[in-house]
Amino acid sequence: MKLNIDGLLVYFPYDYIYPEQYSYMLELKRTLDAKGHGVLEMPSGTGKTISLLSLIVAYQRTYPLEVTKLIYCSRTVPEIEKVIEELRKLMEFYTKETGEKNNFLALALSSRKNLCIHPEVSSLRFGKEVDGKCHSLTASYIRAQRHSNPNQPVCRFYEEFDAVGRQVPIPSGIYNLDDLKAFGRKKGWCPYYLARYSILHANIVVYSYHYLLDPKIADLVSKELAKKSVVVFDEAHNIDNVCIDSMSVNITRRTLDRCQTNVETLQNTIQRIKETDAAKLREEYRRLVEGLKEANVARETDIYLSNPVLPDEILQEAVPGSIRTAEHFVGFLKRFLEYLKARLRIHHVVQESSPQFLKDIYEKVCIDRKPLRFCAERLRSLLRTLEIADIADFSAVTLISNFATLVSTYSKGFTIIIEPFEDKTPTIVNPVLHFSCMDPSIAIKPVFERFQSVIITSGTLSPLDIYPRILDFRPVTMASFTMTLARTCLCPLIVGRGNDQVAMSSKFETREDFAVIRNYGNLLLEMSAIVPDGIVAFFTSYVYMENIVASWYEQGILENIQRNKLIFIETQDAAETSMALEKYQEACENGRGAILLSVARGKVSEGIDFVHHFGRAVIMFGVPYVYTQSRILKARLEYLRDQFQIRENDFLTFDAMRHAAQCVGRAIRGKTDYGLMIFADKRYARADKRGKLPRWIQEHITDGSLNLTIDETVQLSKHFLRQMAQPFRREDQLGLSLLTLEQLQSEEMLQKISQIAQQLLLGRRQLVPQPLVLLAKPPHLST
Amino acid sequence: MAALSEEVLLVVKRVRQRKQDGTLYLMTERIAWGPEGKDRFTVSHLYADIRCQKISPDGKAKIQLQLVLHTGESTTFHFANESTALKDRDAAKDLLQQLLPKFKKKANKELEEKNRMLQEDPVLFQLYKDLVVSQVISAEEFWASRLKLNSVDHALSNNNKQEVGISAAFLADIRPQTDGCNGLKYNLTSDIIESIFRTYPAVKQKYAENVPHNLTEKEFWTRFFQSHYFHRDRINTGQQDIFSECAKQDEKVSHLSCVKNPMVDLMSLEDKTLDEGYGSLTALPNSSKTVKENSNSAIIKRFNHHSAMVLAAGLRKVEASSDQASETSSTDGNSRDSDFFQPPIKKVKLQEAIEYEDLQNESGPKTIALNLKKSDRYSHGPVPLQSHHYSTSQDIINSVSCIQEEISCYKPCLTRVMSSSAASSAITALSPGGVLMQAGAQQTISQLVSTDVQSELKHLYTAAGELLRHFWSCFPVNTPFLEEKVVKMQSNLERFQSTKLHPFQEKIQREYLSTNLTNHVEEMIQAAYNKFHAWQTRRMLRKT
Repeated sequence: MKLNIDGLLVYFPYDYIYPEQYSYMLELKRTLDAKGHGVLEMPSGTGKTISLLSLIVAYQRTYPLEVTKLIYCSRTVPEIEKVIEELRKLMEFYTKETGEKNNFLALALSSRKNLCIHPEVSSLRFGKEVDGKCHSLTASYIRAQRHSNPNQPVCRFYEEFDAVGRQVPIPSGIYNLDDLKAFGRKKGWCPYYLARYSILHANIVVYSYHYLLDPKIADLVSKELAKKSVVVFDEAHNIDNVCIDSMSVNITRRTLDRCQTNVETLQNTIQRIKETDAAKLREEYRRLVEGLKEANVARETDIYLSNPVLPDEILQEAVPGSIRTAEHFVGFLKRFLEYLKARLRIHHVVQESSPQFLKDIYEKVCIDRKPLRFCAERLRSLLRTLEIADIADFSAVTLISNFATLVSTYSKGFTIIIEPFEDKTPTIVNPVLHFSCMDPSIAIKPVFERFQSVIITSGTLSPLDIYPRILDFRPVTMASFTMTLARTCLCPLIVGRGNDQVAMSSKFETREDFAVIRNYGNLLLEMSAIVPDGIVAFFTSYVYMENIVASWYEQGILENIQRNKLIFIETQDAAETSMALEKYQEACENGRGAILLSVARGKVSEGIDFVHHFGRAVIMFGVPYVYTQSRILKARLEYLRDQFQIRENDFLTFDAMRHAAQCVGRAIRGKTDYGLMIFADKRYARADKRGKLPRWIQEHITDGSLNLTIDETVQLSKHFLRQMAQPFRREDQLGLSLLTLEQLQSEEMLQKISQIAQQLLLGRRQLVPQPLVLLAKPPHLST
Repeated sequence: MAALSEEVLLVVKRVRQRKQDGTLYLMTERIAWGPEGKDRFTVSHLYADIRCQKISPDGKAKIQLQLVLHTGESTTFHFANESTALKDRDAAKDLLQQLLPKFKKKANKELEEKNRMLQEDPVLFQLYKDLVVSQVISAEEFWASRLKLNSVDHALSNNNKQEVGISAAFLADIRPQTDGCNGLKYNLTSDIIESIFRTYPAVKQKYAENVPHNLTEKEFWTRFFQSHYFHRDRINTGQQDIFSECAKQDEKVSHLSCVKNPMVDLMSLEDKTLDEGYGSLTALPNSSKTVKENSNSAIIKRFNHHSAMVLAAGLRKVEASSDQASETSSTDGNSRDSDFFQPPIKKVKLQEAIEYEDLQNESGPKTIALNLKKSDRYSHGPVPLQSHHYSTSQDIINSVSCIQEEISCYKPCLTRVMSSSAASSAITALSPGGVLMQAGAQQTISQLVSTDVQSELKHLYTAAGELLRHFWSCFPVNTPFLEEKVVKMQSNLERFQSTKLHPFQEKIQREYLSTNLTNHVEEMIQAAYNKFHAWQTRRMLRKT
C-alpha cells in the first residue's frame, strides 16, 4: 500500500499494516526531518525492519540531497541477510507499483570469510585464517614483488578486480552476500573488495556494528562514507558493550612471550634488509621525517595494520625522532616489553589510571608519552617496509602497540587493572593486564558527530533514557511503542514461590539452597507437562546452569522431565551448541517437543529466535546479573557513577533486566505468535525490576501475575494456552492490531495512533534534565 | 485335520489338565493337549487366539501354566513330572514366549487390515456385500487374492506410517534397586533392550559381536551399566571397557554431521569477532576446571547426546527406507536433479524469517514444491529407450536453429492448396450430424436408463469383474489347488449368472429396456466359459 506519512509518500510492500508501524514511521520521519538522532523501542516481531526501510527509502527518493545513504548496522550475519531480503521485497514492490526500474544500489558487506571465492582461501575455517591468507596474496608489496617475480602467487580475483573492477560501477540492484559472490564469480572479481569499494556509492549498506564502531576497522572501511547518511543500529540494546569491547585490551604472559618472538623476528629481518637493501630503510626514514601520513600510501588490502584510535585522532605530526629509525623502534619496543613483563610480576592486584601508568613508565624506563602514541602507526610502517607476508603471526606485537597508542591517547575513560591470578584459583599464577574501556561513548562519538541522523532501535531498550546517557548524545526523539494486540498473545508470569512456599530466587545467598533448586526443577517439570512443543529456559550463567543440571540429575528431576520432552543444553562449545540447537528445532518440528536449557548473555540468547512452536514458553531462572565481583565491572560502575551520575545498582539492574527481556522476548516474533514468559525469581515482582522491563511486556503484568506459586503458574498457563489454541483469523485482528489503508485513513484510527504518540511525550519529558548531565560531563578527549 | 501336516515343536508328557494326565503338544500354529492313552486332542488352541500366558510363581508347590484366550476363557496346565516339572514348564513357556507375539500381531493386523480396506473403499465394500454376504464366494476366497494383491501397497503404506518413537526417559525406567547386600539390580525388559539398541546402534553392534561367544547376556548388560559410556559423569576407569569405542564412534559421527540450517549455526553467527586479546570481559580459557565442573559438563554432554540419539532413532527407519528408494531409482545418473531444483535451505529459511503472514493477503493456496527425482522423465514422459543415440544439448541447439532457419524461409505454396469449397464440405461432413459423424448420434446409456438401474448395473459389472478376475487368475492351471479353484470359480460364475444376472435381465425386460445392456457382461462370462470348456476338454484328453 501507499502511505502518507506526514506528507511523505511511502511505499509499504504489504496489504495491511500494524498501527505501531505507522506510528514508528511517523517518529522516524520527524527524526530525519530534524536531522538529529533517535532512540526507538518497538517490540520484536512488529515489522520494525520493514518500517525503517520503507520510510528511509522513501525519504531518500523524495529528498535525494538531504539523505544520500542509509547505513544499516546489525549484529549477526543472518540478521544482515534478513535485512537485505526485506529490502529486496520492498524494491520489488517499488518496481511493481511505479513500473520503472529504480537504480538503487544496496548491498551487504561482511568479512572475507563470508565473501571470499578464492578456492583455497575460502576453504579455511576460521575468519582469522581467511584474512591472513588473503593478506598474504593481496598485500600491496606482495603484488609489487610480482612484477619482478612472476612466480609470486597472487589472488587472481583481486587482480582482476583491481584491473577493471573499479571503472564500471556494479549494476544497481540488491546484493546479498550470496548475490555478491555469484556476481564476483561471473566477473572473476573479488566480491569482498568489490563490496568494500561499492559501499562508497551504494544507496544502502548493510553491515555489522564493527565496521562503524571498532576504530581499527572503521578507519579503513567506513572512513569515506558520506556525512549525509542515516545510520541505523538495529538490535542495539547491547551497543555499549560492543563499543567497550572494541577498545579494550588484555595482555597475558603468553601475549608477551609471543610478542618477544615477534620483536626478535623484526630485529633479524631488519638486520637482513640492512645488508641487502639498505635503501629501503633509508626511504622509510625519509618518509617519516617528512611526516607523510601513512594513510596516504595505505592500500585497502593492508587492513591488518590499522590504527586503534579514532579517525579524527589521526595524527597530523611527524613520527617523533626517537623511534624513527627501525633499530631504534625495535629497541623501544623491547624496552616497553620488558616494562610490561616487570609489571606482570606482581603478587597483588593493582589498579591505576592511564596517567598513572604513563608516569610510572616514564620513571622506570624513560618512555615518553609521545612516542607511545605513535607506536601503532610506526609499527604499521615498519611491517610494510619489511614486507612481512604473514601478518597474522604478528598479532601479539600489534596488540601491544595498539595498547601503547590507546593508553597514551586517552587519559580518561580507561582503567588499567593488573591481576596476578584468577579469583577462583588463587594458587595458580596467571597474571593479566586488563586495559579496559569504561566509556562506550568514546567509540561511538565519531559516529554521532559525523552522521546527520543516527537511529538506535531494538525490541528492548528500556529504560530508554539510559542509552543517551551512557552513549553521551542528545536524541531528538525517544519513543517506546507498544504492541497493539487483538488477543493477549504474551503472558508474563512472575513465579516467586514453590508449592512449599519457599521463595525462589537466584540471589547469591540462596542459590545453592536445595529447596530453591528443587523448586526450579519442579517448575520446569510442571511446565514440560503442559506446554506444547518447545520450551526455552535461561539460566543466569554457565556455572549456575551446570550446577543446577547436575543436582537435578541427582534428584531424578531430569528423568521425569524426559518423560515429557527431550532435553538439550547449551554449552560453551559453539559447534556442540549449534548441533543441540538444530536437534532441538527438529524435535519441535516433528512434534516430539523439547526443552532447551540455555544461558542469558550466551550466544543463543543473543542471536537465535524461537518463533512459534520453537518457543511456546520461556522460563527465566533467576535475574541475570552480571558477575559483580569482577574488578573491571566495579571500575566501570564507579566511572558511571562519577561521570554520568548513574548509581551502581541502577546500572546493574538495568543490565540484568535488558538481558532478561532479551531472553523472554525471543519467544514472541509477531502477532500470530504466542508464548508464555515466566520469570522465576521473586525479585522480579519488585517495582524497580519490573519497571525496567520494556513497556510491551510490562503492560501485561497484572497484579494477579506477581509472586505466584508453581501451582498457580500452571493454572494460569493452562488457561492461557487453551485460549491461544483457538483459531486466530485475520478478521479478529482487523481494525485493532491490523489495518487496511481505509482504516488507517479514518479519523478515529488516527486519533488512536496519536494516543500512542502521546505516551511518547512522556518519554520526551524525561529528557529535560539531560542537558544538565551533559554539561556536567567534561570533554574527555584531551590530546 | 489334526496333526496332519503340522510340525510338532515340543512334546511334554505328564501334564495334567482338569485333573487328568495327558501330553502337551506345541505345534507351529497351535497348542494342543490330549489325555493319556487317547488319540485325539481334547484341548486345542490356535496361537492367534491366545492373549497371554501366565505361570505360577517360583517356589510354589504346583507348577502351572495358564493360557488366557481372547475370549476370556482360560486353560491351566499342571506339570506333574516331579523331577523335571520346572524344566518342562520353562521350556514350554519359552517356546510360547517366542511364538505368541508372532501370531498376535499377525491376527490383529490381518483383521485390522481387512476392516480398514473395507472402510476405505466403498466399492470393495459393495463387492464384499454382493459376493460374500450373498454367498456367491466365501470370505476366505474373497480375501485370498485381495490381501496378496494389496501386500504391495500395503508395504508402502506401512513405510509411510510413523514409527513409534522411543521415550526419552527409557533409561529412567531401569532405576537400579539395591538388593540389600551392596549390589545393584537392574530390571531389563525386552522393550528396554530394544530401546537401547535402537537408540544406541553402537551398543547393538557390540552385543552382536560379543554375545554369546565372548560374554553371556547377563555379563554384557552388567558391563554396560558399569561402563563409562553409560555413566558419562564418572571418570573413565575401565581399561577393558568394551564400550569405550562406542563413545569414540559417536563422537566421530557427531563431528561429521555439521549443522545444516545456517540460521542456527552459532559458529558463523558473528560477522567479525574481536581479535585475540581485545574485549573487556574475555572468558579466559578454562584450563583450571575442577573435577566437579568437569563431571558436570560431562552430564550435559551426555544429555545432549542422549536426546540427539533418541531423536535420531525415531527418524532413522524412515530415512533408511527413503534412502534406499532413492538409491534404487538413481541408477542412471541424474538423481541429483532434485537437489538442483530445490532452493537452497538458506534461502528458504531466510524467506521464512522475514515473512509476516498476517500483513499480506495470502496469494492463493500454498503450493508444495514439486520434488522431481528425474526432471527429464517429467518433461518427456515415459518414452521407449532408444538404444542408438541420445541427443546432446548441442544437437538440440543445432536442430532448433535448423528449424528456425527453415521456418524463416518457409513460403506457403498457395497454388497447391485445396479449393475452399472442398474444404468446407469436408468440415461439414466432420461436424456432428454430418455424413461421417452418424455413428456418434446414438444416445448414451445415461440418458436412457434410470439411475438406480445404472447403479445396479455398475454393481453387477464390478461383481462380475471380481469373479472373472478370480477365474482368470487361475490360469495357467498348473497345480491341483488351482484346478480345484478354477472348477469352483466356474460354478461361482454360473451361480452368479443365475442369482444375479438373470434377475436383472428380467427386470430390464419388464421395464422395456433393450437387453443389450447386459450383452457385454454376458460376453465376458461366455468367454470365461469357453476358456473353461477348452481347458476341460484338453484335460480330459490328457487323462484318457
